Amino acid sequence: MKNIIKTISIAALALLVFFPYTKANAVEIDYINKIKERGSLIVGMPPKNNPPYYFKDSPPSVEDSDAMKGNDVDLMRKFAENLGVDVIFDQSSASFNDTVRRAGKGDFDVAIGKLSVNYPRMSNAHPHVYMNFRQALLINRSFLSNFANETPDNLGKVLLDSNIKVGFISNSSYETSAYELMKNAVKKGYSSWEECKKALIKGDVDALYRDTTEIKKIMYQQPNLSIKYVPILFDDVKDLISIYLSTEANIAMADMLNYYLSQEEEIKTDTQVLDEFSDFYKPLISK
Amino acid sequence: MTYSSIKEILTSLRKPKLFLLVIMPISILIGRFIPSLSEPLNDLGLTLIQLISFPAIPLVLSAVVLSISEIFDSEKNNFRFSRTLGITILIFIFGFSFLAIILSLYSKPGFLSPDGKLSIGRFMLDVTDININVFSKNVVENINETNFFKSLIPSNILSDAASGQTLKVITGSILGGLGLAALPKENSKPMIIFLRSLNQLSVKVLDELLLISPLILICLIAGAMSSVSTEIIVALLNLAICILLATVASLGVSKLVLRKFTSSKEREKFITNPADSVFLLALATGSSMACYPTIINSLKTIGRSQNKIEASASLSLLIARVGNIVYNVIVIIFALNLYEVNLNPFVLIQVLTFGVFTGISAAGLNGIAVLPSIGVALTFFGVPLPPILLLLIAVDPILTLARSAITSVTSLAITTVSTKGA
Repeated sequence: MKNIIKTISIAALALLVFFPYTKANAVEIDYINKIKERGSLIVGMPPKNNPPYYFKDSPPSVEDSDAMKGNDVDLMRKFAENLGVDVIFDQSSASFNDTVRRAGKGDFDVAIGKLSVNYPRMSNAHPHVYMNFRQALLINRSFLSNFANETPDNLGKVLLDSNIKVGFISNSSYETSAYELMKNAVKKGYSSWEECKKALIKGDVDALYRDTTEIKKIMYQQPNLSIKYVPILFDDVKDLISIYLSTEANIAMADMLNYYLSQEEEIKTDTQVLDEFSDFYKPLISK
Repeated sequence: MTYSSIKEILTSLRKPKLFLLVIMPISILIGRFIPSLSEPLNDLGLTLIQLISFPAIPLVLSAVVLSISEIFDSEKNNFRFSRTLGITILIFIFGFSFLAIILSLYSKPGFLSPDGKLSIGRFMLDVTDININVFSKNVVENINETNFFKSLIPSNILSDAASGQTLKVITGSILGGLGLAALPKENSKPMIIFLRSLNQLSVKVLDELLLISPLILICLIAGAMSSVSTEIIVALLNLAICILLATVASLGVSKLVLRKFTSSKEREKFITNPADSVFLLALATGSSMACYPTIINSLKTIGRSQNKIEASASLSLLIARVGNIVYNVIVIIFALNLYEVNLNPFVLIQVLTFGVFTGISAAGLNGIAVLPSIGVALTFFGVPLPPILLLLIAVDPILTLARSAITSVTSLAITTVSTKGA
């Protein structure tokens, strides 16, 4: 009997001591609580290595969250730190569009990786803008000379209405934009940006279509290409780069994410990125 | 020290030996070791060029009016001279265009090494980016578009002269000269006397101002040495060499013509070889018109007809402009090589035709204003103009001197041929 009383007393004391403590560390928002219980924020990323945004030394198919580096990676690590959890980067999606779709489906807590905003993507998941780039073309100068008599004010419209052969990454937001902006263009999607570059050099396309940082990166890494190709920067056609959340995650975390972005990060422009990460925009060859 | 002794020293500095031993080393040393002086020296050089250009318009106006009235004077039988002058100009234009093509095929401007491509690429990076608005509703009138034919038609010869529109002054003067030739002698005489005085005054002023040409040369070379990108010069070495070869060839042809079309008696009267003097003067000033007095005085010394010398010199300096033609031919081939356009014989004939027409259409323009004239040719061949212009502008401070030198020495040669036996 004495032992029973002793056991009950210890149990009661334990309840008194530990119950209020456990209660104080729990959170009322179930979704966030789920992340905390899991101990990690699952971040979906496109199946690419795309420095300076997200990359590692091994191929994207190799799972190694600790090895991930880059602006987008740091952004998510800091966010997870504020939540008090670790971060897992998941690059198992098939494409950029698939990454957004899976974020919407709830496979990840968030999706990041220089993901642009467009209407089809917004039907899948909720975007939160953290970078604002200009869209751009890297165009063959000889093709452009066909428009030598156009005034600068008219050039953009005439070019986009022309039968230009334009290359982009398949299943990317630029495929969607190309179909919206360039009705008469011959549109060619490639599996990777490397394949796009090869197509331009080979003459299969007249121009490549992507954001300013990627277009300028080609020129900075291979300045000799400036002779044949020239970047055309669309000052009024923007590429809003966003973090995507599912509806459930958005209801739970939108305020927190927006607060984090407003406190920790300013919305970066392409010029700021080119300046801040200038080490990534240097010639690949020393001579 | 008297004015005449200063004049003697400055004149002697124009000699090739002193140019190579004094002017060039001083200019290079200043340019390389005191780069901070490049901007003020360049500004000073350009100001001094503006100073020596100031008698150019009255000189052009009087020389062309007098030349044309002389050629078309019905009382004098000048048909033979007009025909010789016309044929000589045509032979020089097409001969030198052909020479430019041969030199270009030999030195292959535009075929660049990987290092050259990298240097040019670095130079173009960011600078040639095109920023456009797709949804902008602003409609801006393109006021820069030039109409070549409109630029030829004079509105009021005095206002054209006052506003420095050389091309209009030339066409106005040709029309004026034709009118003067058609007038009865007693009516045209006062005007001819006035124009002759104006011409002599302009030549005298120009001759005196040219004393400062060694100073201009020091300022410009020193300025160019520190401001022109050496990397780009090296990258465009085959273009520069090709133009330099054309310059040397034109000097050689001019000397040969002087030897062939002057008698030994005439040559004895020359104090120095006029081809050398004209060549160095054009190199020093970058202005072919600055050589006009030297051409006139040299051939007057050997007893050639002043009217005919003036007619030949003014027309070949102002309209034929062999330097522009040679330069344009080489630059078009440079652009075609750079963009890997196949140079078959048919394309070369097109290059020659475009080189001649764009060169002549640049009459009355100086310096980098000459460069956009090649745009018509490049558009025809589907080659982009902006990067070519960017590269040419980078090396123009040096190449413009070669362009002027070719125009000047070929003008001397044309004048020597067409005035022979006159």
